[in-house]
Amino acid sequence: MRTYELMFIVHPDNAGDAFTAVIDKYKGVLAQQGCELLKTEEWGERKLAYPIKKQGRGSYVLCYFRAQPGVIDEIERRLRIDDNVMRFIVVQREKGFEPPADSVDVTETATEEAAGAAETEKTADAATKE
Amino acid sequence: MSDENKEKEVRENRSTRPSGPPRRTGGGPPRRRFGRRKVCRFCAEKGLTIDYKDVRTLGNFLSERGKIVPRRISGTCAAHQRALTEALKRARQMALLPYSDAHRQL
Repeated sequence: MRTYELMFIVHPDNAGDAFTAVIDKYKGVLAQQGCELLKTEEWGERKLAYPIKKQGRGSYVLCYFRAQPGVIDEIERRLRIDDNVMRFIVVQREKGFEPPADSVDVTETATEEAAGAAETEKTADAATKE
Repeated sequence: MSDENKEKEVRENRSTRPSGPPRRTGGGPPRRRFGRRKVCRFCAEKGLTIDYKDVRTLGNFLSERGKIVPRRISGTCAAHQRALTEALKRARQMALLPYSDAHRQL
């Protein structure tokens, strides 16, 4: 089992429900493939450094999970098909990832991160200050 | 016979002749960022990790035009520069950082 992180950008036109549906869909895909979800972060809507699909903003979602190497192809395939997912990247973490004190996967939003005890997550600061 | 000897001499001269203008070492006048003699930021500070998600730190290594700053300007060591470049390219891919200064936002 290797530790991976997946970051993807959801099309901003998705309202709250549709947005949550997309996230849940991929959480489902991960679970279906036998992955252990460690942590999910929602960075919320951010300004993109350059337009993607003519959009200037997008909703960022980050997931940490453990998985067998073989399933990554399938996960990527599904992400590629989805029109709501504008970009994605799957990265292997050589140094693994230690979920914070709560072992249950909690979806954290950017604002919660700022107050939370996310020591290694400098990213949260960048997101909340955006 | 004599022709062959002359050709050989010419060839030998060509190989020992220096190639092109002599290289200049170092940059010109010290430019922005960290100056060329400074220590690698990541070597100096052990806890500083290079992560494509860390836009704040990574942004320091992009020029105003969005280009990746060379090692001789930023003072990064070779290993960290490689990691930095990979992280920068990933961040660009995820639209966390720009590819150039020419992006027009709608």
